[in-house]
Amino acid sequence: MYTIGVDVGGTYTDLVATDQTGRTVFAKSPSTPADQSVGVMAGLDELARRLGVTRAAMLAATDRLVHGTTVATNALLERKGAKVALLTTEGHRDVVEMREGLKPDRYDLRTPPPEPLVPRERRFGVRERLKADGSAAIPLDAAALGDVIAEVKRSGANSVAVCFLHGYLNPAHELAAVERLAKELPDVSVSRSSDVLPQIKEYERVSTTIVNAYVQPTVQRYLTNLERSLTEAGFKGSLFVVLSHGGMAPVEEASRLAAGTVLSGPAGGISGSRRCAEMLGIPDLVPFDMGGTSTDISLISDGQASLSADGMLAGQRIALRSLDIASIAAGGGSIASVDTSRTLRVGPESAGSVPGPACYGNGGLAATVTDANVVLGYLDAAAFMGGARPLDRAASEAAVDRIAEALQLSRIEAAAGIAKMINLKMADGIRLMTLRRGVDPRKFALLSFGGAAGMHAAEVARELEIRRIIVPTVASVLSAWGMLTSDLRYEVSRTHYGTGRISADEVRALFAALEQQAAGRLRSWFRGEIAIERSAEMRYGEQVFEIDVPLGELDLSAADLVAQIEDRFHRRHEELYTYASRGQEVVFVNARVAAVGKVAPGGRDVGEVTSAAACAPRGKRQAWLGGWREVPVYALDDLRPGHALTGPAIIEAETTTVLVDTGDRMTVNPLGWLDITLR
Amino acid sequence: MSSKIDPITRSVVQHRLSSIVREMGEAMLRTSYSQILNSSRDFSLAICDTRGRLIAQADHIPVHVGALPWATLAVEERFKDVAPGDVILLNDPYQGGGSHLPDVTAFVPVFDGGKRLLWTIVRAHQSDIGGATHGAYNPGATEIYQEGIRIPPIKLYEAGKPREDLLDLLALNIRNPREFRGDLAAMLGAAHLGERRVAKLFSEFGADTVEAAIEAILDATEQQTRAVVSTWKDGVFHGEALLDDDGHGRTDIRISAKVTKKGSDIEVDLSGSDPQSTSFVNSSHANMQAAVAMAFAYLIDADIPKNTGALRPLKVIAKQGTIVWADPGRPVTLCTSHPSNEIVEAIIKAMASSCPNRVMGGWGRRFRIAIQGEDPRNGRNFIWHMFQARPGGGASIGGDGYSSIGEWHTVGGLKFGSIEVAEVRFPLHFRQHEFRPDSGGDGQHRGGLGVALDMVLETQKPAKGNTAGDGARHGPCGMLGGKDGEPHRYRLLSEGREPRVLRTKEVGIELRPGDCLEVRSSGGGGWGPPSRRSADARARDAAQGLVSKAV
Repeated sequence: MYTIGVDVGGTYTDLVATDQTGRTVFAKSPSTPADQSVGVMAGLDELARRLGVTRAAMLAATDRLVHGTTVATNALLERKGAKVALLTTEGHRDVVEMREGLKPDRYDLRTPPPEPLVPRERRFGVRERLKADGSAAIPLDAAALGDVIAEVKRSGANSVAVCFLHGYLNPAHELAAVERLAKELPDVSVSRSSDVLPQIKEYERVSTTIVNAYVQPTVQRYLTNLERSLTEAGFKGSLFVVLSHGGMAPVEEASRLAAGTVLSGPAGGISGSRRCAEMLGIPDLVPFDMGGTSTDISLISDGQASLSADGMLAGQRIALRSLDIASIAAGGGSIASVDTSRTLRVGPESAGSVPGPACYGNGGLAATVTDANVVLGYLDAAAFMGGARPLDRAASEAAVDRIAEALQLSRIEAAAGIAKMINLKMADGIRLMTLRRGVDPRKFALLSFGGAAGMHAAEVARELEIRRIIVPTVASVLSAWGMLTSDLRYEVSRTHYGTGRISADEVRALFAALEQQAAGRLRSWFRGEIAIERSAEMRYGEQVFEIDVPLGELDLSAADLVAQIEDRFHRRHEELYTYASRGQEVVFVNARVAAVGKVAPGGRDVGEVTSAAACAPRGKRQAWLGGWREVPVYALDDLRPGHALTGPAIIEAETTTVLVDTGDRMTVNPLGWLDITLR
Repeated sequence: MSSKIDPITRSVVQHRLSSIVREMGEAMLRTSYSQILNSSRDFSLAICDTRGRLIAQADHIPVHVGALPWATLAVEERFKDVAPGDVILLNDPYQGGGSHLPDVTAFVPVFDGGKRLLWTIVRAHQSDIGGATHGAYNPGATEIYQEGIRIPPIKLYEAGKPREDLLDLLALNIRNPREFRGDLAAMLGAAHLGERRVAKLFSEFGADTVEAAIEAILDATEQQTRAVVSTWKDGVFHGEALLDDDGHGRTDIRISAKVTKKGSDIEVDLSGSDPQSTSFVNSSHANMQAAVAMAFAYLIDADIPKNTGALRPLKVIAKQGTIVWADPGRPVTLCTSHPSNEIVEAIIKAMASSCPNRVMGGWGRRFRIAIQGEDPRNGRNFIWHMFQARPGGGASIGGDGYSSIGEWHTVGGLKFGSIEVAEVRFPLHFRQHEFRPDSGGDGQHRGGLGVALDMVLETQKPAKGNTAGDGARHGPCGMLGGKDGEPHRYRLLSEGREPRVLRTKEVGIELRPGDCLEVRSSGGGGWGPPSRRSADARARDAAQGLVSKAV
C-alpha cells in the first residue's frame, strides 16, 4: 500500500510516495495553472515510473492521497474568484467595506482604500432583522427577498454569500434565504455565514463568508475534476486536502469550507518542517521554502508552529484558525527588469512554468533568477532535472545580456546583481517573521527547501547572521512529504448561551455533543484511533475577547469540574497577561473540540555514519563567487552520513542544487541531510 | 557610541521594542473591561527613557503618543526615588503633563541591576472620570474641577505593593468603579508585560548594548526624516482652521499656523491663534505638542519610526493663554479631538504649497454622544459612548479617501466594534448603519464618505444624553481645489415631538424609550479640482450610490 502526497506549487507539482517499508520516492512535474489536475496526473505518471509500476497499479494500491492545493490562494491573490453577491440585513450592507473603522498603517494617509471583493452594487439589503436574543424584530420579508434574488440574477453573480445580523445565534432567516436561492438560482453556489463561521461579530463573519463564496466555485470545480480523474485512473482510496490549520479533510469538507484551504499549499511545508525539527532534535527552525513563483516563510519555535484566527490574506479578513505563514511573491522564476531610472528590479512578475525562464527554451525572453544562476555557473544546464530537461545556456546569457546592456554592466555583474536583489528580498521576508516580531533570527537554523532555496540559502542566512543551514534530502519536495505526516483533523465549536455561571452538567453536555459530532464526522473518513482535543474560550465578565483555555487531561466527571476549568482560565490569563482577577465572574463562551486522527509518520532512512572522510567530487566547473572559481561538484547521491567538506562546493541532486560558499563547512548528518555551518 | 552597534543588533532591538509595545497593546485590548477600550481601542502604549524621550510606540491613537514624553518628564520631576515594583499613575494636564482628565496614564519603571533605564507606559481613556457629567465630557464646565478627578503623579504601587487606600479614593470618585478597576488592572497588566519583555531584552543583549542601540535608532530616524524634509520647498507658509464654537457663545474660533521650512528644519508657530475659551475646547500644552507632532508625522514617510528622532527637525512655538495652550485651571476635556483636529488641519493647509504631493484633504471631526441609562434586561446602569458612524477620511494624491474611517486624531485607529456585540451589551437597536451618500468632498480625488446611522433606544426608563464635539458648521477642508466634506448633522427623533437638530455641545438631553438618534457623520475633504475627476470615477460613484447628484 502507498500513501501519496501531492503539493501543487506555482511552477512545479511535487509528489512523494511512501510504502509500508518506509521507502520514499519522489517526483516533480511542471504545474499546469489553467487546470492543476493535468499536472497532478502527469506527476503521478512520473511517480509510478519511479516506483517501477504502472500508474493504474500504483493508484490501485494507494489508500490515501493527501493534496495541498493553491487553487483558492491563487484565486484570491490574483482576484480571479467568483463574481459574488452579498445578501445581508437591510441597512447594513457596508459592513465589509467599513472594516470596523480600521485601516492598516496609522501614519500612511496617502494610500487609497482597497477594493472590496464584493463591490457595493452587488451588496443587497434584505428586509429582515433579528435581535440580540435571536428573536425576529422584523420577519424575513418574502417579497423583498424575491426582489433581491431577481437583482442578484441580473447582476450576473455566480456565487452568493448570505450573512444576516445575529445569524450566528438563529440561522432561520439565513436558511430560508438559502433555500429560496437554491430554488430560484440553482446554478449559483451559496455560502451561509451560520455555516462558515457561526460566531458573533459581523465583520469577521461576513468577510470570511464572502471569501468562502469567492473561492468556493473554483475550489469545488477543481477538486471534483481531480477526484474524477483519479477514479478514472484506478484510484480507490481516499483523497484528502490539507487545510490552512495544518490538518486535512476529505474533498466534500474542503469544498464546503473552501475559505479554509487558502493556506493549503504552505501548510504541508509547515507539517514537514515540524517533522524535521523532531527528527533533527533542533526545536528552533526558520522554514525557508523558495519555489519558482513564491517563497513561504514560517517559524518553528520550540518545535511548534503557531495557529491563530487573526488571519488576513490579500487584504481579506479570514477568521478561521490557520497557521502563521508569510508568503512572498518571488522565487526562481522572478523576472529581472530595469526601470526608467536605470534601477534593477527583480519581480514581482514571474515567468511561472509557462513560458518559464529563458533557459527553459519555451519562448520566455525575460531574464529570471534561474537564468542568473545559470550564468553564474551555479546551475548546470546539462544536468537540470537529472538531464531530463537540459537548459539552454545561450538563452540565459542572451536574456541576462539585455539587462546588462540597460545597466551598462558586464554580463556577470548583471547576473550577480540579480542574485543579490533576490537574496535581499528573501532576507526581508525572514525579517518579517522574526525581527519584526522581536525574535532574533540568529538563534534559529535555516531549514532550506523548495527547488530554488539551495542556491540562495547561504547568502540569505549571512544577511541575517544565521549560522546554520539544514538541507533535508527531501528538500525539493518537503511540502509534499510533510503532507504525509499531517493528521486528520475536524474542528467544531459551539457557543454556550445562558446567563450566570455554567454548570458542570452543561459543560458535560456541550462537550459530549461536540465530541459526538466531530468524532462521528471523522469516523466516516478514518478507521484509526481518534484523539479528542478539548478547549474552552473564556473571559472575565466585562471583557470582549475570549482566551482559548486548553482542557487536556481534564476529568469531565469531576465534581468540581467548573471550578477546575475556571482555575485553568485564571492561570492561563495570568500566563498571558501577568495577572488574574480571581474574585471576578468568569464567562464560558465557546466549547471547542478537535477530533484528530493520528497518522503514523512516514518511514525514515537513517544512514550509517561511515567516516569523516571527504568524498570525491564528480567534476569541477567555473562558478562566480565574487570572482570566477573552479568549484568541485558533488552528487548528493554520493554523499553518506559522516562526509564533510569545506566550500566552495556545489552539491547537485536531481531536483535541486545547493551552493556551499567559500569557507562554509558542510557535513552530512546521520539522516543523510546536509548540515552547513557558515564561516 | 552608536557606531559600535552593528546594524543587525540595532535592527533586532528596534523591532523588539516595537513588538513589545504591540504586544502590550494586544494585552490591553483583550483584557480591558469597558467598551471604549476593548472595542474602540482608545488607548496607547509607549516606551520612554528617563529623559522623557519617546523610544517606541504602538500605532494606536496618534494624539496620545506625542503627548507621552511630557507626562514622562512630569513623573521624573515629581519622583526622584523610584524603586522596582513602583507603579505611577497620573492624568492631570497642569500638574502631570497629561492631555485631559479621562486619559489616565500608568508608568512602570524598568531596571537593569540597580539602574533605572526605561518606562513602559499605558495611557487609556476611561469611560468615566467623575466630575459633573457622566462619560467625562462636560460642555458646561468652566473650570477643570468640573471635569473630573485630578490625579497628579502618584505612586499607586510601592515596591510591588498596591496602595489600596489610593485605589479606593480613585474608585469612589468615579461613576462605574467596577469597570474602572477592571480597566486599571488591564493597564497595569499590559505595562508589567512590557516591563518583563524589556527586562529580558536587557538580559539578552546587556543594557549597555540596548542603550547604545537606542541612540543609534534615534539618530538614524532623525537622518531619515531630514532627508525627506529637505526635498520640500523652502519658505514661510500660513494656514488656518476654525472651530465651530465653544458652546458658550463664541463661534468660529481660529487656529492659525505659520510654518517656516528651511533645509531640513521645520518651525511651526501657533502664536497667532485666538485667545483661550471659558469652555472645554481649550488645549493643554502636552496635547498641543502632540497635535503638531501628529501633523508632521502625516507629512513625512509612513515607514519612518515615530520616535523622538523623527521629531528632532521640528520646532514648536505657541503662546500660553491662547486656545492651543490654556492657562492653568481652564477646562480642556475636548482637546484631544478639538482643537487637535484644527491644529493639524491648519498645519497641513499651510504645507500645501511646500509639499503638495504629501498633503491630504481634511479628515472628519469628532462629534460624540454618550448615553447613560438602565438596561431593562438586567437592571444595571450603563454608559454608552458612540463610536459608530465614523466620519470620512480626506483624499490625497493616492486616490479617494477612506469612508467610515475617523478623524485627524485617530485616522483609522479607533475601531467602532461589532454592532452585534453592542446590541448584546446595551439596550440599543441599530436600524441603519451605512455609508452616507453625497457626504464626501468632490475633487479629482473624492473625500471618503461619512455614515448614516439610525439608532433606537430600547430602555424602559428615560435616559440622559450628552454630546461633545465639533464640525457641524465647518466640514473637513478640501485641498488644492478639492471641495470640503459635508459637515455632521445629528437629529433626535422622538414620537410626539418635533425632530430636533442636536448641537455639538449639549448636556442632559432627555431621551425617551423608543427615541431614535439620526446621525449623519461628515465626509472627508476632496483633493484637486473636481474638473479633473475622471468620467469613470463619476460613473462608479453613481452606480454604487455614493453620489446621487448629477454633476
